[in-house]
Order: sequence, then structure tokens, then C-alpha cells
Amino acid sequence: MPRFLPLFLLSCLAAALPAAAVDFSHEVVPILKKHCAECHMGDKKKGGFSMNTREDLLAGSENGKVLIEGRGAESLLIQLITSVDSDEQMPPKGTRLTAAEVQTLTAWVDAGVPWTAGFAFKKGAYEPPLKPRRPLLPAASAGRENPVDRILDAHLAKLPGPVPAPLSDNAFLRRVYLDLVGLLPSPEQLTAFLADSAPGKRQQAIALLLNTPQPYAEHWLTFWNDLLRNDYAGTGYIDGGRKQISAWLYQALLENKPYDQFVRELVAPTEGSEGFGKGIKWRGQVSAGQLVPVQFAQSMGQTFLGINLKCASCHDSFIDRWKLEEAYGLAAVFSDTPLEIHRCDKPTGRQAKASWLFPELGQIDASQPPAERLKQLAALMTHPENGRFTRTIVNRLWHRLMGHGIVHPVDAMQSEPWNSDLLDFLATDLADHQYDLKRTLALICSSKAYQSVAEVLKEDADRNYTYAGPRSKRLTAEQFTDAIWQITGTAPRKFDAPIKREGSAPRPEQALAAKWIWSGDQKAKAAESGETVSFRTRFHLAALPQTASAVLTCDNGFKLWVNQKEIARSDQWETPVAVDRLDALRTGENEIVIVGTNGGQGPNLAGLWMQGQLRFADGSLQTLNSGPAWLWNSAVPRSDGLFTPDPGHWKPAVEVNGAAWQGINDALQALLVENANGGGPMVRAALMKSDFLMRALGRPNREQIVSMRPNDLTTLEAMDLNNGQILTTRLETGAKAILQKQAGAGSAALVSWLYAFAYSRAPSPAELALATEALGSPPNAAGLQDLLWVLLVQPEFQMVR
Amino acid sequence: MNPLPLDSTQPRRDFLKKLAAATTAAMMSRGGQLIASDAVIQPKATADAVIILWMAGGMAAPETFDPKRYQPYEKGAPMANVLSTFPAIDTNVDGIKICQGLEHLAQVMDRATLIRSCVQPDLGSILHSRHQYHWHTGYVPPQTVAAPHLGAWMAKVLGPRNPVMPAFINIGQHLEGHGESEELKAFTTGGFFGSEFGPMNLPVPDEAAQSVRPPKGMDAGRFENRSALFRKLLDQNPQRDIISDFQRESMLRSLENAHRLLSSKERAAFDISLEPKESQEAYGSGRFGQGCLLARRLVENGARFVEVTTEYIPFVHWDTHADGHATVERLHQEIDRPIARLIRDLESRGLLDRTLVVVASEFSRDAMIEGVPNSTAGDQATVKGDTLESPQHYGLHRHFTGGTNVLMFGGGMKRGHLYGATAEERPLVAIKDPVSIPDLHATIFTAMGISPKTAFDIEGRPFYATIDGTGRAVRDLFA
Repeated sequence: MPRFLPLFLLSCLAAALPAAAVDFSHEVVPILKKHCAECHMGDKKKGGFSMNTREDLLAGSENGKVLIEGRGAESLLIQLITSVDSDEQMPPKGTRLTAAEVQTLTAWVDAGVPWTAGFAFKKGAYEPPLKPRRPLLPAASAGRENPVDRILDAHLAKLPGPVPAPLSDNAFLRRVYLDLVGLLPSPEQLTAFLADSAPGKRQQAIALLLNTPQPYAEHWLTFWNDLLRNDYAGTGYIDGGRKQISAWLYQALLENKPYDQFVRELVAPTEGSEGFGKGIKWRGQVSAGQLVPVQFAQSMGQTFLGINLKCASCHDSFIDRWKLEEAYGLAAVFSDTPLEIHRCDKPTGRQAKASWLFPELGQIDASQPPAERLKQLAALMTHPENGRFTRTIVNRLWHRLMGHGIVHPVDAMQSEPWNSDLLDFLATDLADHQYDLKRTLALICSSKAYQSVAEVLKEDADRNYTYAGPRSKRLTAEQFTDAIWQITGTAPRKFDAPIKREGSAPRPEQALAAKWIWSGDQKAKAAESGETVSFRTRFHLAALPQTASAVLTCDNGFKLWVNQKEIARSDQWETPVAVDRLDALRTGENEIVIVGTNGGQGPNLAGLWMQGQLRFADGSLQTLNSGPAWLWNSAVPRSDGLFTPDPGHWKPAVEVNGAAWQGINDALQALLVENANGGGPMVRAALMKSDFLMRALGRPNREQIVSMRPNDLTTLEAMDLNNGQILTTRLETGAKAILQKQAGAGSAALVSWLYAFAYSRAPSPAELALATEALGSPPNAAGLQDLLWVLLVQPEFQMVR
Repeated sequence: MNPLPLDSTQPRRDFLKKLAAATTAAMMSRGGQLIASDAVIQPKATADAVIILWMAGGMAAPETFDPKRYQPYEKGAPMANVLSTFPAIDTNVDGIKICQGLEHLAQVMDRATLIRSCVQPDLGSILHSRHQYHWHTGYVPPQTVAAPHLGAWMAKVLGPRNPVMPAFINIGQHLEGHGESEELKAFTTGGFFGSEFGPMNLPVPDEAAQSVRPPKGMDAGRFENRSALFRKLLDQNPQRDIISDFQRESMLRSLENAHRLLSSKERAAFDISLEPKESQEAYGSGRFGQGCLLARRLVENGARFVEVTTEYIPFVHWDTHADGHATVERLHQEIDRPIARLIRDLESRGLLDRTLVVVASEFSRDAMIEGVPNSTAGDQATVKGDTLESPQHYGLHRHFTGGTNVLMFGGGMKRGHLYGATAEERPLVAIKDPVSIPDLHATIFTAMGISPKTAFDIEGRPFYATIDGTGRAVRDLFA
């Protein structure tokens, strides 16, 4: 036998065992049904004891508690089923439980009585209402007028726990910024907010955040990309089997498109929004349950109604009321060819008939063509009487803001809410206000409930939910990334999302202005293949520019020197190159040399194009655009950029008709804008393709719909935080950038600034002393890099509390 | 015959104890609940660790471990004559021949179980990443939930063998920068178990040490100072009491675990430059060979599941759409000595008995047939033609799913054993004892002490280690 390393850490394991050991639905339910149903289920409540729901079970009997969670052997239930005393044993008559059954039930109680959310023994004990309901609002207490508070205060009054304590201004501002726009409040914003003594300042902050379309859109894009499984790269895009809805979605969020309209456009789509319904079409054969129309049914059910049709698209569901027929009915709404129902991937010979899940609201006319059916579906989905539709979305928003759904998990909307008045109120309120999602967010954020300190969680916090205030949330990968970029000012300039972004429209000075040039106009005869020409421009700089950037390309390739320093080269003329650092510039005389090379076989059109821009401290601009003022020479410089021997006379460059290259005008324009956009709104992580760090921090592959990201940090993720290259580089660059910007700031001031930014609070004297010492005096880049890491990895930073 | 370990049944509770011994409390609570059932008997493990050696891109069986009639390169020879482009050589087991170029492996065949009859489903049009997804998760994509990688199953059910060592380590595959990289990411994951059970990715073996070292540019002293500052500031946090909740603690525990590996003695295992020179040379300077060396060091130090890949890049390595013979000749060199050395090293360290080494690929290749006979799959060979017109044509350039090799060593498998057979003439389909992916997985799971029926409750429905719990271990493979 080989000797492996000893296994230790055994002691901490036992506790978690029972929880993993018992399968409630498959093991426990049959035993209880078999032995206990006759007297303790449905209407039967012998001895005052019902087993219909978990609450009933835990409430116990006339004789007190029947179950002690986590302690099977001590629980009356277990004692009675094992008792040999015929006066007390359960069941009193009939077959006794087998040893294995007793063992299962004991393990189940040991495990803390795990229960499938929403499950009840009595059939239909909880069937969520479909229609909207307008609950009567309880009277406000203590001046807490917000309807959310009126409902929750009444709720809390019935519970033993205290009303959650109010949240400080600091914590409120951090929470509401991160929740509504995904960003940290800057130290300046924080200071101004704290200094403001107006009583309505929180209300104003909420309104301000919701009324700035771009940050709002770019934060909620993450939520919707997850929920609509949209991304900028991913499975299926490779061979056209999947289509982005990024541009449509971004615009919808900017406009705050009313939610009913938003969904109608996803169900009965326009070209920009059809990607969601079309799902992912894989090359080759797929199982029946993953055909595109079936995916459609699953996606529509899950995202908009919180209905899991994944089970029912294979067979009648074991876990809720949905049937194979119904899942296929919804799929057939989408399908443009006849759709045969498959059960467990085997054909049944029956054709699906287009239909909708809640016929009480109306039905699809299956005889209509697909486009018309989808319109009908869109209307039924957003039907004013479809309360499931509004409840599902307000519950999702509640979950994002408050950390736990009113129905939880949020995709299991068949489960009973812990407060149906709250859910129903929010749902009708949304419909009453033109389906304005921002209205719902504002309503929740304005409540004292939202503005309360977060609940302190215990390990079993998700098993037995009782409302006790908001729960803290983990920063999303996007929030974490954005926060680093905010603090260090090192966000990228380019983004990946194919969207039109404010600040991405060209300013006048960014219009295409440079000319295509070559050594001849080539109207009569195109340039020889392989022809190589040097172009030159010289200019004087009185001062160094603050930023210098250029976009250039040459059919077929080029090398660029600035003052004899090679800056860039490319032989891919279709992909223009952006240069955002012309480091080699100096005050006085400057020279740019570009060697262009024609390619191809035989004579073909050649041209060079460059548009550069220098921006000076006083705001003035200087352009560096290729044109007839540039000179050319057939000599080529040495690798160090020098012409030896002197090539003699330089001739004026000749403008070439650029029509041949107009296909890349969009690319040139986009690069010009991106390149010059240092001062525009910060590029957000939600606009970027996922990277290792974001993936490590929980950004999902979006092949499946994701409605709740994991709330905990795993060991592998923690390793990436510890030594991952992306974070390390980001903090290294970031530390330097901060020192540059905050030049002259003392270490203590820098520490206070960091605490204000990262945590929205001042450091305690002890923290200040420790952090200042770590920074060194004056602060050094390595010290700052490490302090940044320490601050960003602390749970206080990684959580929205 | 020895009593089969498969028959030795263990009551469920013992299994749970074993689970407990091998995992941590935090892990068990994450990513789905184990469905316990009396119907699921957990077998007694014959292996504690698995190394998958992945021949990415479709390793042609007739060019490696199942040589057929040899056709030398002859200009104008009919393509239909091409079965193998390498002659067969003897191994140290009577009756087992393999292809020329694998001479070192030929000398360890007495430690191997060679399966020649693995079969894959015809998924219509061949897309490597779909077959790879299937092979690595047991489920044909797409799925309505994210299916976990085989390694994630091991990590979830068994946990790490050594608490500081990540349970699932994936060596040699870049997940960025190549074609189909999104598709590779889709199965290189913990799936519905969550990222705690996902892979630690080490794409470049000789840079692996970096992944457990302080970040580049930070010496050990500075790294420790940084950690010390972290703890001090944590202690001084004015909110430490009011936010001493479970979520915070769990976050800190993960950070602590990570730090523990980064400062553990086991981290030396990641540094192949610490290996004696002779050994480094034996494994060679190729990425795959270095990956094998790294895998051995990791398993020695308590890794549970390690995969080493030759790396999947479309049209590169085993994905021969043209010029197959020359490419495979190079690949022989890349794998032959390192794998043989890995087996000998494990053996000499007493580890082979309890380490299951599996050499596998998503499917085989054929000179003529795409998919299986009569498949509707479109021909994807780059160079076409009925005759050998240039060396470019010489090789097996079509994807073949009808008969694939898997080579197993150690971990309770028989030694010097041949299982299954393919036809001697085209179509070279499995004609004896076909082994499906569920059955192959069941064999691996069983060797690791996991019933192929093991299931977890995901979104309210059971999700099994092998599809619908149907995989059956191939008993004849076990010693």
C-alpha cells in the first residue's frame, strides 16, 4: 500500500454530514406518506399534529414539540416510531417502520429537517395565485409610511425579533450606489452626502442614481445578461448558433423600457432581441429536450415566470404541476415546423399543439403562423391579469436589493412567499406604474427596511428563513472589477460589448479626416506588389502633449517610427492599429516615419492612412493626419529608424482615392473614438468579455440562465485573489496611477482616501496607523499595491452590507 | 479468481464516513445535495487518485494502440488501402502489438489494460468540443444545467486527498486564445457543483510553480508581510463584531485555505524544476511530457484528480485533417517516453497500485469514414482524393467514432490485459465487448469508490454520476 499524506481535519467534518445525507423528496416523503398520512396529513390532524408542511411539523402536537431539529434521537417522533410500548408507539396500528426507514427519518431530523421549498403533503396546499392581488396596507407605525415598511413592520410585530436597526449614512450610500449603479461612491460624493443636512437627502441620492441612465444601464446589464444568457463571447457564437441581444438590451436599459414592453419584445422579437428566444443551436444532433423550441419554452418559463420547465420538457414533472404536454405546447408556439412530443428523448407519435401555460388568461390560436402566435404569447405573458409575471420580476429585484427573495429561490415561483402581501403589493404597484422597474427599485430603496443594518447570518441561514432585515450580498465580479478601476483609475479604454455607448459617438474632432496616400495616385497603374515606400512628416512641439494617440493602417502593411523609435507595425490592413502612447515625442522638432509595403500578387492598389491627435494641457488639439503635405521616399530606414546614407530628395505624397478601403471606415472611426476617450465615462466590466479574474469571482458562462450567483468565495477563487496575474498587474499599475494622481499626498491622507473610497468610511486610529506604516513615507508604489490588495480582499470590501 | 472489489458492498453509512474523511465541511454544503439511497451501494475503492492523459483532437487508434494492415507511403496508392500508416511492433505482452514509434510504451504494456473497443455516439456533425464535453462530463451537450467535469465529481464526492492540495487539477490546456475555447470552458468547470469543485488550471507545466507562489515580482518576505497586514487590519476592523456572520467567516476560511497552500510545503510539488536532471530529461521538454512529470509530483503530494492534455487546438496535434502521418510521428515522440516514465515512476514509488492512469481521446480517426459507417456527418478532411497524391494525404484525416482506444494503468486494473477488439478491415468498428462512455466512466468511478448511480439533487431532480445512473463498470478490467 502506498503511503499517502495523512488526512486530517476530520473533526470539523461530522457536522456537515447529515445535511448531505438525506434526500427529502425521494426518501423521506414516501416513508411519511406510508406510515403517517392516515392521521396527520390533509385535513387529519390527530393529536393536534399535522405533517402537511414543515411549519406544521415543527409546530408539534398537543404534547409539544415532536421534532428537535438536528437531534433525531431526542425527537419524540423517532422515540415513538421505535417505541415498544404499545400505548405510545406510532403508528398505533398497522406495519411498524423498518430499521432502515427509522434510520432514514433519524438522519433526516439530524440533518435539520431539510424540506423541499414549497412542498406540502396535502395536494395543492400551496398553489400560487395567478391573478394580481391588492393587499390592504397595514397602518404605518412610527411614521414609517413606505408601503414596504407598513407591510414589514406589521410582519415583524408578529415575530419575536427586534426591528432591524437603521443604517448609517455611510453604509447607506455605499449600499445604494452598489445596488443601483454598481459603483462605489467616490470620496467626494461621500463627503458631500455626509455634509448634506437635508432630510430628504437619501431620497435624492436614490433619484439621482436612477436618473442617470448610463451607469444604471451598465450595472443592470450584468443582471440581465445572466438572466437572458447573453454574452459577448461564449458557446454557440462560434458557428452562428447563437445571437447576441447586447445592443437591444443596452438600449432598453438606457431608456428604462417599461417591463411589459421589454418582455413583449423578447417574446415576439425584433431582429435585435431575437437571440434570447432562439437560444443556442448546437451543430449536430441534440436531445429532444434541447431542441431550440424546447429551449424557448424553458427560457420563457424560467426567466419571466419563475417556472422550471426543464423537468416537464422530458416528462411530467415530479416536483411541480407542469406536464410534458404543457411544456411542448409552449415550445410549439415558437416552432415553425410541426413539433413531435418526445418523452425522455423518445418520440411519442403525438404532435404538440401551440398553447400557453395559464389558459385561464386566454389561449394561443395554434392555427396562426409562428409570428402571430408569438405576438399572442407576448400579450398573454404580459396580460394585466397575469400576476405571476409581475411577481416574478419584483421578487428578483427584491432579491438583488435585499439579499433573499420573498419567494426563494427566485426561480421557484410556485413556492409560498414568506410574505404574500409584500410580494403582491410590489407586483401590483409595478403594473400600476407603467411597469417601471426603476419605480420598484426606488420604492424598495426608500424603505426603512432597505435602510436597515444587514442581518447577521448563521450557517443555516438559508434553511429556515425568517425576515430579519436585509442580507448582505457579495460583490459581483463586475462590481469588484469596476471598484478597482474606480479607485485606481485604470479602466480599459476599449470595451467588447457591441453597443452604442454614450461617449462612443464621434466628437467633431474625431471625424475621419486623414487622407489615403501613396507615392502615386495609381489611377493609371496600381502599385507593384512588394513596393515599399517611406513616408515622413515633421512637426514642432512647444510643449509635450498630455495625451497622444493615433489610428493607422496601410494596405498591406506598415512600420511606424517616432523620432527613430519603432512604435508599431502590422501586416493586417483590415485591422487598423490604435496607438495610444507616442512616448518618443519630445519638445522641439519631431519626426514620424512610416514605411508602407504593398502586398498581393501583381500590381494592386496601395495606400497609407493615419489620423493622430495630440491634446495639450490647455485643451488645445493638434492633428497628425496623413495627406499630401507628407513626403515620401523610396529609401527604407535601417532598423533603428535612421536613413543611411541620406536618401536625398523627398517628394510630396499623393492622395489616393479611399473608396477601395471604405469597408474599414467603421473600424477606423470606432478606434478613433475609443482611443481618444480617456476622459469619457469609465468603461465598465459589464461591457467586457469575461476574463480569468471575473470568472474566478463568479461571472458565469452564460449557456444557462443564471438568476442567482453564488454568494460565497471559494478556495480556488481565493487563490486567484492571492496571486492571480490579472489582479496583481491591475493593482501594480493601479498603485502607480494613484501615486501619480495623488502626487504629494502624505501617507495618512492617502490611507483615509482609500478607506473612504473602498469602505465609505474613515479608518479607525488603529487602522490608520497600521496602514500608514505599511505605505511608507512618502508612500511607495509597492507598499500601496499591497495595501490595496489587503483592503480589497477584506470581507468588508467584498460584501455589500 | 480474486474476489472482485466491486462485489464488496459497504453500507451507506460507512460510505458517508468515508466521504467525511475525505472532504471538508464547507465543501459538502455547497453545490447540490447528495441523494442517499439504499439502492446505491458504494463500491470499495481500488484507486485513490486518477490521472487522465488526454489525447486531444482525436487519437487515431490504428496509428497508436490498434495497428492494422500497414500501408507505406506510395504515390498513387488508393486511399481505401490506408488503414495504418505505421507498422506494428511487439510489446512485452504476447499478443499485444502497438504502432511503431511507441517503443517505450511497448515496454510497459505488461502494466496496462488496453481497451480497443470504446465507442462514442454519432452526434451528427462532428464538433470536437461536443465530444470532449461528452467524454469529460458523461453528458452530451447541450444540457439544461451545467454538467460538472469528471474531476469535479471526484472533488465533490471524495474531496481532496490532502486538504491543502486542490482536488481537481487540469494541466496543459489554454482556455483562451484558441478556437472553440468557449466550448472548452463549458466543460472545464465544476458545473452545478460550483466553482469550489472546479479545476485549478495549469496551462503551462513549467509555469505551474507560479500559480502557488506569491505573485510575480513579490518576494516571500513581502508576501508574508502582506498577509500579516491583512490579518492585522482584519483584527482592527471596527465592524469585526457586528459582521461576524457566517458569510464573512466562510470568505475568510477560503482566503485562509488559499494562503495555506501558497505557504505549504506541498507547493514545491508544482515546481518541476526541482526534479533531478535525469528525470527532467526523461520526461522531455515537451509540454505534455512536462505535464506528466507535474502530474506525478502532484499525485505524490496528495492530488486527487489530475488531467494532462496534449492540448486541444483545432487542426493541431491529434486533430489531423491533413498530413496525419507526419503529425502522429511527432506525437508518438511527445507521448511515448513520458507516459512510460510516468508509469515506471509511479510504480517505483509504490503509487501505481492506487493511482489509476487513463490514456484516452474523444474519438478515433479513419482515412475514409467520417463518424461511423452510414453517418450523415459531413466530411471534414482538408485534403481529399481517392489516391495518395502527396505526403499531405498520408494519414487518417476523418473523425471516427466506431472504435477507440483507452489505455489504463494501475488503480486496480488488470495488467497486461487486452479487452475488446475492432475489425481487421474497414470499417474498423468495435466487434467485441464495446465500451460506451457511461460504462467507461462507471469503471473509473467504481475504481475510485463511487457508485455510477451516485446522484445529487439539482433543481429538484436527481443528476447522476453516469447518465441516469446507467453506467456499468466493466468488471473484466479489474484485477
